[in-house]
Amino acid sequence: MADAVVAVGLTKIYGSGSAQVVALDNVNLTISAGAVVALLGPSGSGKSTLIKALGLISPAERGEVLFQGRSVVKDGSALTDLARLRRRHLGFVFQKANLISFLTARENIEIACQFGDKTDGRKRARDLLDYLQVRHREDAYPEQLSGGEQQRVAIARALANEPSLILADEPTAALDSVRSRAVMDLFRKVAHERGAAVLVVTHDHRALDVFDLLYEMEDGRLRLAKDQAAAHPTTLPATGERASG
Amino acid sequence: MNLAVRDVGRHLARFLGTAGGVGLLLSVVIAMQGIYAGMVDDATILTRAMSADFWIVQRDTRGPFAEASRLDPSIEQRAAAVPGVRRARPYTYQLIQRQRDGDVLRLALIGLGWPGDTGESLPLVKGRRLAQPHGEIIVDASLMLDVGKTLELAGETYTIVGLTKNALTSGGESVAFLSVTDSHLISYDQPPEATLLERERVVERLRKTDLGRAQPNLEDLAKDPRWRPPALSSPPLAAVLVEVDPQRAMEVRATIKHWGDVAIYSQAEEETLLLEGVVQRARMQIGLFTAILTLTAIAIITMVIYNLTLEKTHDLAILKLMGAPRWRLAGLVLQQAWLLGAIGYTLAYAIGQLFFPHFPRRVVITDTIALVAPIATMIVVTLASILGLNHVMRIDPALALEG
Repeated sequence: MADAVVAVGLTKIYGSGSAQVVALDNVNLTISAGAVVALLGPSGSGKSTLIKALGLISPAERGEVLFQGRSVVKDGSALTDLARLRRRHLGFVFQKANLISFLTARENIEIACQFGDKTDGRKRARDLLDYLQVRHREDAYPEQLSGGEQQRVAIARALANEPSLILADEPTAALDSVRSRAVMDLFRKVAHERGAAVLVVTHDHRALDVFDLLYEMEDGRLRLAKDQAAAHPTTLPATGERASG
Repeated sequence: MNLAVRDVGRHLARFLGTAGGVGLLLSVVIAMQGIYAGMVDDATILTRAMSADFWIVQRDTRGPFAEASRLDPSIEQRAAAVPGVRRARPYTYQLIQRQRDGDVLRLALIGLGWPGDTGESLPLVKGRRLAQPHGEIIVDASLMLDVGKTLELAGETYTIVGLTKNALTSGGESVAFLSVTDSHLISYDQPPEATLLERERVVERLRKTDLGRAQPNLEDLAKDPRWRPPALSSPPLAAVLVEVDPQRAMEVRATIKHWGDVAIYSQAEEETLLLEGVVQRARMQIGLFTAILTLTAIAIITMVIYNLTLEKTHDLAILKLMGAPRWRLAGLVLQQAWLLGAIGYTLAYAIGQLFFPHFPRRVVITDTIALVAPIATMIVVTLASILGLNHVMRIDPALALEG
């Protein structure tokens, strides 16, 4: 299966001198299309920094990010229009659903479709809400949705442009165990049925069985903790990991 | 999908409240500009209404509106005799204050030279010009008195025969027009006791003179209320208004300028004297206040738009993270600013239409103000958006990850 994203030698350092913190220490990572990957680790270990680097939000100072085989960031410099790449090929899901407060559930998805130049935004939004079983709440504003509904809408929005990579930062932190499990299963379903690569930062150990690969971060270094791909015969061919610093 | 409209729709009451505040602010700014324009207009409207080419006034004075000007009535005939003069009219001006129905009535009385001047140059909105030399008066509509009503002045009854609009002095007092004779009657009106005492003083003075002693019957004449000593001069005029043959204007001016007892000003000069003298301080004060108020309004509107943007920082960060094109984000801020400006100005306009006519001083929305105010409002809100746009461009999409 093709590589959705490849990180090579990512290094990011905050501060200087004695206050220097190495957030990413020569991180190498490859995530294949259709793989569901968990990123574990204590607070401050560099998980969010890695998400920001892979999400083309805050590039690492050194190293390279290749997207679908094409180098897009190298040594902190953008080699292409990153915003355009984000809106067309990346989907984000956050700890809090982070829906746009003044748009309804359906409009939150429609606007993502617009950014991705999808012409049938409204129909697509409704299909995605159907898919995630929240269609009945399409006209509700975020504040009128429950935490689980918000997270479903956020996932629907992340899927709006058929992204090749979905990055989720602690998406179940605000949910109870039942809803947490449901969200994790959704990621698996999305990866399985739509072929998107999914990277989930999580502290939630209750649903780790849904992931193909478990990575751990500590002090900016990444290591493969567990390969469960074999336990998921129904998934698309999963992931590969080259090395960690 | 228009993000600006969706955001406004979601927070409609708050947005309308903000627009209402901006509207009130703009209405104050426009009112101040209108008051300034009104002050300038009021200062010159009287001179323009008289349709004179030249104003002849007492020598070394600046005309009847700036200071007291006393001209001998013979100046009217002298001016009329100057080659090139088409018409010379007497003109008197005085401020009076009386009580009427328990209210203070302040009036500027302008005497017109009956029968040559019956008020034909006045912009009447109702009624007619003066048709007789005594007992008729034309007043400004701001007095709230209709045609047919009467005014009691100096013991005489004056019937209102016509109404003007916006005939006000630079101080904002309503102006009334009547014949010069009537204006003198009002000016020199004395209570009976004062008249009696004056006659007694004349008799006393006569008794001390050789003439009085030699002609005892003069004393009887002095006591007769119908008699007026021939040596006493007629009441003075404030000015003589001159209309000239346009080709001979310079010649007329040069001729009259050489008279030792008068000064002559063109219509434009008379207006300049008014603006630079009578209302200069008030004009400067209100002009400066208007400028400060305008700057304050710009600062407040800038902060309002900036705060509107700040409130959306998180939503904007999410939109950025989603890869929203910059023009969409800039459009969100700009369109809301324009909407704010448009609603604010419309409200200010409505407030102006409803309330400005009831202000004690005239608020004149000139064509320039009417044209410039909405354009300036839109320019101001656009410029005010720069701060908000700068904020939008600097928002880190990573903010969205922080929940």
